[in-house]
Amino acid sequence: MAIRILLADDHPLTRSGIAEFVRREPTFELVAEAEDGTEAWELIQKLNPDVALLDIRMPDMSGVEVAQKIKAAGYGTAIVMLTSYDAQQYVMASLKAGAKGFVLKTVSPKELTTAINTVARGGLYLDPEVASFMGSDDFSPEPLSAREREVLLLAAKGLSSKEVARRLFISERTVQTHLASIYDKLGSRNKTEALLLALKYGVVTLEELLED
Amino acid sequence: MLERLRNFFARPRANFLAFLLCALILPSVAVLLVAVAGMVSQERAMEAAVSSYVQDLAESMSYHLSTDADVWTFSMLSDFTRFPFFSWGPSIPGWVALIDNSGRVIIASPGAMNIAAIWRSDLPVGKAVKIADKQGAQFTLAVYPVKRAGGGYVVAAVSWTQLLGGLVGVVRVWPFLLMVIALSSFVAIKLLWSRLVTPLRSLVAEIDNMTLGKDVPESIGNNAVAEIESVHSALRRFAQAAVERDNLRNRYVRDIVQAQERERVDMAREIHDGPLQDITALVQQLHMTLDDENHSDVARIKLTETIAKSVVRELRSLCDELAPPWMDLGLVEALTELAERLSQVYDIQVSADFDIDDDSREIEIENEKSLSLLRIVQEAVSNAVRHGEASEVHILLGRKGDKITLNITDNGNGFDAEKINHETLRVEGHRGLASMTERMSLMGGDLKIESMPGHGTEIKASFELGGRS
Repeated sequence: MAIRILLADDHPLTRSGIAEFVRREPTFELVAEAEDGTEAWELIQKLNPDVALLDIRMPDMSGVEVAQKIKAAGYGTAIVMLTSYDAQQYVMASLKAGAKGFVLKTVSPKELTTAINTVARGGLYLDPEVASFMGSDDFSPEPLSAREREVLLLAAKGLSSKEVARRLFISERTVQTHLASIYDKLGSRNKTEALLLALKYGVVTLEELLED
Repeated sequence: MLERLRNFFARPRANFLAFLLCALILPSVAVLLVAVAGMVSQERAMEAAVSSYVQDLAESMSYHLSTDADVWTFSMLSDFTRFPFFSWGPSIPGWVALIDNSGRVIIASPGAMNIAAIWRSDLPVGKAVKIADKQGAQFTLAVYPVKRAGGGYVVAAVSWTQLLGGLVGVVRVWPFLLMVIALSSFVAIKLLWSRLVTPLRSLVAEIDNMTLGKDVPESIGNNAVAEIESVHSALRRFAQAAVERDNLRNRYVRDIVQAQERERVDMAREIHDGPLQDITALVQQLHMTLDDENHSDVARIKLTETIAKSVVRELRSLCDELAPPWMDLGLVEALTELAERLSQVYDIQVSADFDIDDDSREIEIENEKSLSLLRIVQEAVSNAVRHGEASEVHILLGRKGDKITLNITDNGNGFDAEKINHETLRVEGHRGLASMTERMSLMGGDLKIESMPGHGTEIKASFELGGRS
């Protein structure tokens, strides 16, 4: 059975380009195209597609907001963010909003196919250009300690070092030490990278990250 | 003239000072006139009184001497002090004497011996005259002939100097004092006019004609009273401050214009050297592909794809630099992103931490202010790397109630913050420190830089939410 796909992008030229990619793939079925966030949300409610490709910046409602609505409504639609922005904070914001994929619009058809297939299966896909630091797939990091996982999860939820320290009854200095060790083990340069890598290697799951 | 007068009375408030001075001058003039008139009439009254007195005295004595032979004879033989005329002495404010035709004194009241010295044969008879002796002393004198054998004259005299001196003095002093008072009030009014009214008017004219921010009034000179001088110097200071403020503003506008121009030049260069070159190459590749006989030059098409992707990357980073699109994710996310980007750009450690007093984990703030904070961080990190050679920068953004604090510390070389001359830096085109401070003050907050050579730098900024924007 073909994967039913909805595409939302306010830019006609990019939309038609991506639509062509999708139509070419025999296992995909493009069920609808939307010009803005509101239209996308209405079509998703009506058609309940398997995958929604959402542009982040759209008039009326941003892709992130549509994703939040989908997540809140409990639909099974898997979301792939399709954007021109390569900021890692967009990746984090998208993931927190419930997106499973994040690809740049310059993505190749092959990669887009992989992304759609991955999220449709329930997996996570990040554009290699955004996650270039992620390196090759065969790298397996040194496992994190239980305390390090806790620190990473709390930090990922946006808690400051001070708050993390307070929650875990340890000193701020110790939190910093843990973070440095986490970065080292995962091969990341900062918190966001560490979190994305941890997600990739399955050190933490998206569900753990999203629960409050 | 008439017109001026009408104007004068039509605007009583405008001419208040003139009215006031008139009000002072008029009584002074009146006093002066009264004093002069008083003096003149006093003088006349006294002269009349003295004249009639000496006339009466001389006449009654001459009558006695003419008719009473006994008195005359007897008096020639015995002491004449029995005659009341001669014995009264000081109670008579004058002297009386009998002289013969040649002017020799026959008998005289006490002190009257010097009458001989002032009597002259050409004096009119039967009428009081005022004459002066050789020393200049004034006398009023009356001469009456004695009608009997041997003739002779009765001379009665009053010395103004001796007998009336005190009285005349007292009587003359008060109009004189009045005159002095009147004259000194004229002088006072004249001074008031030249030291107060005139400078005040020129001060008003100066203020009227002054263009604030351009003119500074000249020194008023030493003619004016101290109060006006201090008002004037206050005006000078005020005008000077206005001029300085205007200069500062002009300079600031010039700086902004310069900065804008510089930015445009930079942007144009970046677009020219980056995307424009790449797209040109892209067009060339496409042309070549089209010219190709067999349309299967995969390698060339792959190249065009690579070029196109690089154009996208260049344009994206140009956009990020101009106005970071991730701003709309909120301040916390935006600052985290910025820190991570700066960390990559400069290849140093840049960490961003947040200390927010509730569980929102976000700071609700206008985009403009958010952008200002990010620019301050950008500038601070850039300074830390370029001037301080720092390898670590730590950013702490805090919120406590309505107060937002931003602390940026680095482990760089530091500098002597006290010795920083902002003016020199500005002139040399380094607006970094100044623009950080200006951004903060535009938000109604303030920014302090603490640094010491060898001890890194700490930038502390704070402002109130809902403050000036």
